[in-house]
Amino acid sequence: MKYLTIDTTTKVTAVSLADDGCLIAEGFLHTSTKHSERLIPMLDQLLKAASWTLQELEMIGVVRGPGSFTGIRIGIATAQSLAQVLKIPLLAVLSLDALAWAGLGRVEDIVPILDARKNEWYTARYRWTKDHEKAECLTLPQAIPTELWLEHLKGLDRPICFVGDATVKYKAQIEVILGERAMVLPEYVSLPRGAYAARAIWQRWQETGVGELVEPFYIRFSEAEVNWAKKEEARRMTEHE
Amino acid sequence: MGGIGYGREGNVMKSQKSEIVILGIETSCDETSAAVLVNGTELRSHVISSQIVTHQRYGGVVPEIASREHCLHIQPVVQQALDEAKLGFSDLSAIAVTYGPGLVGSLLVGVSGAKAMAYAAGVPLIGINHLEGHIYANFLQHPDLEFPFLALLVSGGHTHLILFEAHGQYQVLGHTLDDAAGEALDKVARTLGLKYPGGPEIQKVAKEGDAQAFKFPRAMLEKNSLDFSFSGMKSAVLNTLNSAHMRGGTLNVPDLAASFQQAVVDVLVQKAMRAIKRTGVKTLLLAGGVAANTLLRETLEQELAVRNVRLVCPPPIFCTDNGAMIAITGYYHYLAGDFSPWTLNADPGLSLT
Ligand SMILES: [Zn+2]
Repeated sequence: MKYLTIDTTTKVTAVSLADDGCLIAEGFLHTSTKHSERLIPMLDQLLKAASWTLQELEMIGVVRGPGSFTGIRIGIATAQSLAQVLKIPLLAVLSLDALAWAGLGRVEDIVPILDARKNEWYTARYRWTKDHEKAECLTLPQAIPTELWLEHLKGLDRPICFVGDATVKYKAQIEVILGERAMVLPEYVSLPRGAYAARAIWQRWQETGVGELVEPFYIRFSEAEVNWAKKEEARRMTEHE
Repeated sequence: MGGIGYGREGNVMKSQKSEIVILGIETSCDETSAAVLVNGTELRSHVISSQIVTHQRYGGVVPEIASREHCLHIQPVVQQALDEAKLGFSDLSAIAVTYGPGLVGSLLVGVSGAKAMAYAAGVPLIGINHLEGHIYANFLQHPDLEFPFLALLVSGGHTHLILFEAHGQYQVLGHTLDDAAGEALDKVARTLGLKYPGGPEIQKVAKEGDAQAFKFPRAMLEKNSLDFSFSGMKSAVLNTLNSAHMRGGTLNVPDLAASFQQAVVDVLVQKAMRAIKRTGVKTLLLAGGVAANTLLRETLEQELAVRNVRLVCPPPIFCTDNGAMIAITGYYHYLAGDFSPWTLNADPGLSLT
């Protein structure tokens, strides 16, 4: 089964063409241009290079967050529109789930960290099963202050393997807090890749076998919603007094 | 672009079709809209999903929330437009989409979606300037419009006087130096405690008020200027309110609303008349959200009748942001073979020049 995956949840534009879980072609751009400028051109080039046509695709997978709000929407709007025109199923996985594939088969816990600004990360924790079949999610996706998360991981007393776009900037801090127990993979392994999404989507397809309604997974509310909720809360409190 | 995207030769594959079918998509602010237009005149469908209610509690459009809403609605809105038109993607000649100006996050949802649809459907993509779209909304009902004409574009984000000499050939004669007319109306409305969006609310409340009750300044700038300035007029209202509060008094809100609305309309109309005199054109097009304002329409009508100039304005449904105006603009770009590359990006600050 031929399919396409799109991941624009970080600064990397990552696209893959795959067949039954096997990677056929991969696009990776980590430049200063924008997703919206390079996504369709990249797809077009990959299809041509692989001698595939768009009409041969039987399914589309997209990474729906967490990550850059705008990036999430560009990926979903693109993938969803392609699936809509081609009338093929659309599936989605989380960015953190896809990144767990960067640590396939490792014995350490896999902790993807994505830069969430404000000194926070989008993160989760996974452990590969002994048969390397599945990365089990041990801590659910969340947005958390970097130091709080590192202290928590320290308390687990486990070796941890870090992946994700925040590894470059935070490598030193991670090693200070976790010492020997931290393993930080290099950025060419650690950044989102079409290959990881290709595997994660294939796994999802094998579990579900049908397309799904895909919505963004932001984790965070917008600032306006947070502020409004705070104000409402304050108003309710004064009313009760 | 190399081999990517459609050059001018791109439309050859569809040129044997007798009908030109354009899907127009608009997501620049707080409306997700799509329309299917056949041969530039027959609007087969027009779907608008408005977010006004969502933004009301915040007193204005919140960009991040607008983008989130667009992302949820673009696919169903486009599908509904196609279904109502009883057409599929394979029937389309091109897909037109707003790429600026507007909220960058909102624009990106529309641009990304439209681009992927056009690419998958094998049809050209046409990036549309939202401001041009507002003006071209007039061609939906008046395909016979003759050049040259003058356009007065008045909305929450823009106040422009533009001279059109031919399709795609235009010249901005004047624009606002500070607030847009609609923006000033919104801000005053908010100060008066009226609902969002403020423009329609001011108009409603003003009906009960006396437009002569307060004398607000009319900023005309220098004698020859066709530019606008509304922030001073807005401040005058705020000052009037403040000094009344200081004295412990309250002011009549309908009177304030009516007087301010009158001041804004006076400036818009006088500048338009100045531009008509200078250019000698025989047609004035009104466009943009504030074009739905009744006082503005009626005053222009009176003034233009005296000068023997024709006033053309779109029905209210085509004054707000909508997909039909993007489809009609796309139609004229299509005829000119003016297509966009697959690298098209959103341009939040896109201007008309
Ligand atoms: Zn508009």
